[in-house]
Amino acid sequence: MESNARYESRINRVIMKTFNIGREFSGDPAGRYRSDGGFNGERFREDVLRPLISQLKDNEKLILVIDDDVESYGSSFLTEVFGGMVKYGYITKLSLLDKVEFSFTDPDYEFYKNKAIQYINEAKFNSVQYIATKGP
Amino acid sequence: MKRERQGTRDRAVRRSLIHRNPLKRRRGPRQSRSIPLHVSIENRRLKGLNVNISSRFKHATITLPTLMNFSDKYEETINYINLIREFTSNQHLPNSYKLRTVLLNRLENISTSAALVLTAELSRWDDSCKSKLTPQIENWNHDILIKFHQLGFFDLFHGSPDFLKLENSSTTNTNIVPYIKGRCGDHEKTRKLKEHLIEIIGKSIPKWTFLSSGISEAITNVSHHAYPESEKYQEKDKFWYLTGSFNHKTKELKIVFYDQGVTIPKSLPASKIWEQVLSALSKLPFVDRKKDEMMLKAAVELKRTSTNDTDRGKGLLDLLEFVKQRQSGYISIISAKGLYKYSRENGQEYVKTERFKEPLLGTLIIWKATLDMNQELTE
Repeated sequence: MESNARYESRINRVIMKTFNIGREFSGDPAGRYRSDGGFNGERFREDVLRPLISQLKDNEKLILVIDDDVESYGSSFLTEVFGGMVKYGYITKLSLLDKVEFSFTDPDYEFYKNKAIQYINEAKFNSVQYIATKGP
Repeated sequence: MKRERQGTRDRAVRRSLIHRNPLKRRRGPRQSRSIPLHVSIENRRLKGLNVNISSRFKHATITLPTLMNFSDKYEETINYINLIREFTSNQHLPNSYKLRTVLLNRLENISTSAALVLTAELSRWDDSCKSKLTPQIENWNHDILIKFHQLGFFDLFHGSPDFLKLENSSTTNTNIVPYIKGRCGDHEKTRKLKEHLIEIIGKSIPKWTFLSSGISEAITNVSHHAYPESEKYQEKDKFWYLTGSFNHKTKELKIVFYDQGVTIPKSLPASKIWEQVLSALSKLPFVDRKKDEMMLKAAVELKRTSTNDTDRGKGLLDLLEFVKQRQSGYISIISAKGLYKYSRENGQEYVKTERFKEPLLGTLIIWKATLDMNQELTE
């Protein structure tokens, strides 16, 4: 009995993978499209978040550290990243909310977490075909 | 012979000027007025603006007034600033009047926002005449000199005067951050503002992240809407300007953002949220629907979650978040002839709109907060 319980806990264990936005992407993520600056939402979604999520196994989740050396997030960035993941049909709302968690120590950054979740919930799955924009 | 009354005489002068030397329509961004420059100058002189024209050489000298701000001297301030813009826009025309001198000798007080807008306009003038301007500061008011020095005004010009003796000798209690000039997408430049403010205030600013987010969205809005291709703006004109100030006595923090673009009311018809703006405006009386201040209000306050295309145009709401989170202070957005002001005080929120006679040729955003040094800056 004891060995069976241990086996179950091992297969149910969720492995958390962490991505620190401030250190691994930019401290100034801002803008919607590639023409809006170097660290825009489209770039983060296409080059960072989508590949990271697609590489996750069933028992893996992604923790996004959102407040470490990051100045702020504008709505344009957040909606393009999180709303875009659902809107362009990369992942369903429920799966995205299940796969991604937000981590922060500064209580002000809870605002951005809630905004990101709001934009995921508001997006319509696979409602728009993605057409890449050009950089500056 | 009956003596002509002054009003009749003024009308006759205006009429004759309209029919004299019709200028070719210029290329480039459209101005708010399509009337020729010489008529505009005469109109503004009739309004009391101090502008002298040397008719022989077609050279103009503008003497700025004693007070310039956008709170209680809006019309006078903006008339002077728009006149400089008109000269700059016509600078390349061969037979047009040329702006030769802008005198600041009489200026005794200027707000941070007016100083930034004036600097931006003079920067544009300097660009248009290939950086040939030189400041003549001999008769300037001491505090004005220091204010413009702190703002970085003199960095615009080659051969700026030596200001070492002026450091810390201001009689006012306000410090200004050197203005930051950026292009579309220069989001990281907001960090410079933060660093300067921390240096001036001595500590970090609580809820800064929401102010940073607002500025960042203002920059994104500049990229998307302020300088549309249809208006034929030149690359050298597509800038935004940012500064901040802190009054050590009143503990007032002001952040000012300015772009010289097409303005929010004029950019709305081409934007993705125009139908929703129209829907919001349809609830107003017909005569109010095309007023800039109403369009500004509708654009800022749209309930965008009720739309199908839910991810467009959320940026303007971000501008208010710093004031909302702090539960005090205000944000003013002036664009074209409209003002939208959102403020919070004692748990209450207030919204004010106003219509001006003279348009601001761009969009000006002013955040103001009063810092409680004992409670807030002990982090």
